[in-house]
Amino acid sequence: MLRYLAKRALTYVFMIFLTTSAGYLLAVSTLQPALLEQERIPRPTPEQVVNSFRLKGLDPTLNPWERYVDWLTGILTRWDWGRSPNGAFINAEFGDRVWISTRLFLASIILTLVIGVALGVFTAARQYKASDRAITSYSYLMYIVPAPIAYFLVQLGAININESVGERVFFVTGISTPGLDGDGWAQFVDMLAHYAVPTFAITIVGWGAYQIAQRQYLLDNVNADFVRTARAKGLTRNQAISRHALRVSFIPVAQSIAFTIPAIFAGGFFAEKIFAWHGVGSWSIDSIALQDVNAATATLAYGSVIFAVGAILADFATTLVDPRVRVQ
Amino acid sequence: MTSNTTARDTAQGTDERLHAAGLHAPASAVLSVRDLNVRFNTENGVVHAVRGVDFDVMPGKTLGIVGESGSGKSVTSMAIMGLLPPTAEITGSVRLQGKELLGLSDKAMCRHRGSDLAMVFQDPLSSLTPVYTVGTQIIEALTVHNPTMSKQAKEARAVELLGLVGIPSPKDRLKAFPHEFSGGMRQRVMIAIAIANNPRVLIADEPTTALDVTIQAQVLEVLHAAQEETGAAVVMITHDLGVVAGMADDIMVMYAGRPVETGSVDDIYYSPRMPYTMGLLGAVPRVDVAEKSSLVPIDGIPPNLTQPPTGCSFAPRCPLASEACLDGEPDLRAVAPGTGHRAACIKSEALADVDVHTVFAVPDVPVSRFDSLPRHERKTVLELRDVRKHFPLMKGALIKRRIGTVKAVDGLSFDIREGECFSIVGESGCGKTTTLLEIMEFHKDQDGEVVIGGLSNKQAADAKAKSSMRKELQMVFQDPTGALDPRFTVYEVLAEPMENLGMPKAAIRKRIMELMELVGLQADHVNRFPNQFSGGQRQRIGIARALAVNPRLVVLDEPVSALDVSVQAGVINLLDKLRAELGLSYLMVAHDLSVVRHISNRVAVMYLGKIVEIGDVDAVFDNPRHPYTRALLSAIPVPDPELERTRERIILQGDLPSPLEAPAGCNFATRCPVFAALPPARQEKCLTLEPALEASATDQQFACFYPDGELDADMVVVHENH
Repeated sequence: MLRYLAKRALTYVFMIFLTTSAGYLLAVSTLQPALLEQERIPRPTPEQVVNSFRLKGLDPTLNPWERYVDWLTGILTRWDWGRSPNGAFINAEFGDRVWISTRLFLASIILTLVIGVALGVFTAARQYKASDRAITSYSYLMYIVPAPIAYFLVQLGAININESVGERVFFVTGISTPGLDGDGWAQFVDMLAHYAVPTFAITIVGWGAYQIAQRQYLLDNVNADFVRTARAKGLTRNQAISRHALRVSFIPVAQSIAFTIPAIFAGGFFAEKIFAWHGVGSWSIDSIALQDVNAATATLAYGSVIFAVGAILADFATTLVDPRVRVQ
Repeated sequence: MTSNTTARDTAQGTDERLHAAGLHAPASAVLSVRDLNVRFNTENGVVHAVRGVDFDVMPGKTLGIVGESGSGKSVTSMAIMGLLPPTAEITGSVRLQGKELLGLSDKAMCRHRGSDLAMVFQDPLSSLTPVYTVGTQIIEALTVHNPTMSKQAKEARAVELLGLVGIPSPKDRLKAFPHEFSGGMRQRVMIAIAIANNPRVLIADEPTTALDVTIQAQVLEVLHAAQEETGAAVVMITHDLGVVAGMADDIMVMYAGRPVETGSVDDIYYSPRMPYTMGLLGAVPRVDVAEKSSLVPIDGIPPNLTQPPTGCSFAPRCPLASEACLDGEPDLRAVAPGTGHRAACIKSEALADVDVHTVFAVPDVPVSRFDSLPRHERKTVLELRDVRKHFPLMKGALIKRRIGTVKAVDGLSFDIREGECFSIVGESGCGKTTTLLEIMEFHKDQDGEVVIGGLSNKQAADAKAKSSMRKELQMVFQDPTGALDPRFTVYEVLAEPMENLGMPKAAIRKRIMELMELVGLQADHVNRFPNQFSGGQRQRIGIARALAVNPRLVVLDEPVSALDVSVQAGVINLLDKLRAELGLSYLMVAHDLSVVRHISNRVAVMYLGKIVEIGDVDAVFDNPRHPYTRALLSAIPVPDPELERTRERIILQGDLPSPLEAPAGCNFATRCPVFAALPPARQEKCLTLEPALEASATDQQFACFYPDGELDADMVVVHENH
């Protein structure tokens, strides 16, 4: 198993190298941070711009290949992912951003998975009954509604609650109240007040997909021949389903869960923008708007790594739950 | 509407009817079913799938329920088990040892299921949960009904059960997962689960339909052993009249949800009194009969069960139907007073000692213009010379390395002459289909030579040569539904091959009308889609498509294995007729040796990619020399109870070995009944030398050092009195 994982990891490292290199070359030949500098007041002379960029390792006079070699050498020798046009160091920025994304998504994704899979099983067992129809319709609705709209609605709801209560119960944006003094309890309440709205919003939008998938896979297996065999042994229908069908139907769901977990750390653009948590997701989009070659490439590389980890986790999850899959 | 008539029938009382018939005293019956009715609510209306089934099964006895697909036999068994969906409406009575089962809740039913009432299902591949070990699944059956049993005791019992059903080294195999077992082994596990708690009644629903004949023989043997071990009553559901002939004590023939004839196995097989039963028996080709007569086709399709029948439900397909048959559905009536033989036909008295061939319009045996010519004077249509197909077995993800070779086809040579049907038989995995694919491939890089109509794959393999080859050779596939594009009308299906050859439109139209008539379809049905036809008709369309370009050789890949017996007979008769009328040659691959015997002139028996015996079909089947051929033939059940009871059966041990593990000497040595009986000194030859096909004075050739050798006693089973 370890050998297999090592082999897979090696393949992915190679693929990450390829995508990242291609991404860098594309970014460096299309993004022009020098143009943005022209909008500054007072407008810097082209020489000043080139000089300042050269000091940050972003020399626009070098050709893309030379810059690629410089950039790659920096990473391989010093693990230095370069700097942004505004002078910020990517390495330093990165850690903060990942931590913010993680804090935003961790709780809500765990809730999403647990609620989604549980409701999937619940509705499959009650196929076509009122509860199934209501829950499954809701899940499809959440498929259709664009996530930002749902987030805005939750924000509006929270604001309404605040207004009707007459004081600020929930914060609809931000991570924490700046300059808050007080003991641990006050800090904790402040954290909850900030966490509640985004976590709630991401969760209620997210679990629909898992509910639909788990329900579908379980229903595919509810009438399977082996469930019939289990019933013929003397298990009741519900026992047969929970002991035999559930485990089999969880195999594909486990795979998709394994893919989701690393994505927690990559964050999401809409949620981060709307709730003003400046994590990796919003950074990746912003970096393109700001013509930031190094940041854009770094987020791309990070995305590839997360994907690779997800794929390996999915393999791992499959071998864990499905004895038919054997690693050679 | 129906319920009125059925209710009236019921009111007269099944009891009364039974008593009048002087049937089994139900008191001793372990399972008694009375007036069982099952209705399903579907989009097309209420389907009355089972309409008044009565039967009793005595302890230790076997009841065979026989019928075509859709006759309600499986629904009956599921209703007894209480495994139908809750939407099914079930009425009547099912008594297990005197206790009423119908109306019990799922929970109450669970006390019986798996303990005194057990079932073996049709498809062993999907009937075991893939994520649990075999041991877990057997132990679960024990745990449910014996909560106090200790873990050690359960494990010991599971090992005992696996041993009982003939799984080697049962202790280690407990930890194996179902996918590590072959189909036959999984069916054994299913039987082990079913008999775990010594059931009083064991229901087997087509337990061997999905298996090879040799494996079928093994599984039937295990069922037999299990019945002896537990003393259970067995209800055996099957469409194969051969399978039940040797096993059953009583038979119930079902048609359109009703029993149409019941009686002892001898009554049913030797003096059937219902035209449907007679037709079914006449439709089955016999592997043990050399004399050729056409099979009995039962035209038409079973009735739609959403409409209550006003007359005999078989009348539309019955050659004897008269005005009186359409007036009310006949009840099951005793054929002769004092016996249990009953038939639901108003003409049953007149049918005593009537030959089925005079009842049904059986076509004459067609004679081809080539039949009178000696074989060597006819032209060769297809010739294979030393054709091989080896698949490398690779290992590794990035850098692959070869760890072995699968010899799917290993040095095949045979030829087919004009007007003859040549069949290849063998267990699944022996290379039959690969052989066909190699012939269709027709590429110059192939290992070995394929000559089609004088054109060799070595000389001309460009696109033009290939297309002229395709004109000579056409193919009919196993699954008629899958082989026809559902969005093409029959006209488009048939026109496509001719358009490919660039035939003019008018000629195509004319040819299609000819073809429809040729295969026995109505010419005005050409604008219908394949789903508007029955399975048998679809296969006829498939045959018409193959014949469209006037080929000389038609390759038939299991042409009738997806069809019901009665429909199968019609298709086989058609193939026989076409061969004679058009002077066609066939290359057929089939696993059903009875069909092969019926239709073929020559036959080749394949084992692990090699031909082990080849020759004239009568010579090979009547005087098999190779032990494998002998085993194959002895494994085929024959629809003749007398014969089945006394027949010597060779039960091969184990499954077809993986081609990877092919032994150095004779491939078959690992399972050979002759080899097992040989003294070690003579075994040496089989293990080191590879027997070749020996040319002999006759047409029959075989690859064995010890033909007609003594058989190992352990592998031969004879059931003296049952």
